[in-house]
Amino acid sequence: MRQAGTYSGIVWGGISGKTGPHLLPLARIKKIMKKSSEEVKMISGESPIVFSKACELFIKELTQRSWMVTIKGKTRTLSTEDVASAVLATDLFDFLVNLVSESAPAPLHPKPPN
Amino acid sequence: MERGGTAGFNRFYKHAKSSSGLSIVHGGSSNSNNSNGFINNTANSNTMPPPCTVREQDQYMPIANVIRIMRRILPTHAKISDDAKETIQECVSEYISFITGEANERCQREQRKTITAEDVLWAMGKLGFDDYVEPLTVFLNRYRENENERTSLRAEPVLKRGIDYGIGSPIMMAPPYGQPGFHVGGHHQGIFDGATAMGGYFRDGPGGGAGGGSSSSQASLTNNFDPDPFVQYK
Repeated sequence: MRQAGTYSGIVWGGISGKTGPHLLPLARIKKIMKKSSEEVKMISGESPIVFSKACELFIKELTQRSWMVTIKGKTRTLSTEDVASAVLATDLFDFLVNLVSESAPAPLHPKPPN
Repeated sequence: MERGGTAGFNRFYKHAKSSSGLSIVHGGSSNSNNSNGFINNTANSNTMPPPCTVREQDQYMPIANVIRIMRRILPTHAKISDDAKETIQECVSEYISFITGEANERCQREQRKTITAEDVLWAMGKLGFDDYVEPLTVFLNRYRENENERTSLRAEPVLKRGIDYGIGSPIMMAPPYGQPGFHVGGHHQGIFDGATAMGGYFRDGPGGGAGGGSSSSQASLTNNFDPDPFVQYK
């Protein structure tokens, strides 16, 4: 038996298979999708698959842009501020502006709900 | 320190930095660590979590996976602060919600109940992520081809198949195909044998999944290689 995990890898999030690695858990993606709105009713089986790859692309892009900010500061540690700067500098990431501006100050202390 | 008890509030709280990544546990679950039901290494208040508290980690992609993807892009010597990891983790969830919201609106406008992969891709294009659409389309097509092969493997001896990704055995045809209630099938007919448990089987109605879904997997082996409708979105 060869490569037993190929198909199960695709579905369960293993790193194998010709479709490319599924690095993110599909069930979790589905959960987040459902939580995004009360009105989300049903989700096709393929949607989380698409998202798993899309999130990978997204993480890569956001990380890369953040890193560009990091190295300008001559450090080697990618920080939240770098992420925030990258978000603010990229129109595509406008939807994240509120999120990163909440994160930036005193991240360990919870803010009281407004 | 009070933990966010509802989805809306979670954004305002940073999740614990414990190495296990766990924070809140359901009130009724077995957790012998302390009576509050918390597993983390920060000091807890005496607040009891409400019984329907959702674990924070459920709202995000697992941080280890996020970090793994980040490291693929970063140079070897790069370091990532813990805060940055969590921030990106949150951004991913926000991204999913953002795209899903748009895709869902489209479904509602068109009076469909199921968000399909095409809706997701369409939403990405609309919201500015056009650069993602093409690689995702390729990815999805490849996935669908694999699915077709997988289906046809059920009916024929594996050795006859010229599949180059090393599917060696029909043993792996066993149905639990993913998470319970989560049908991975998309727009093809008869991916599943009719005997497969179909609880929570999601399928869109008027879309490409014609044929009423689940049975006749053998009958429809050869006719599923048509290019998918969503390619027109690019």
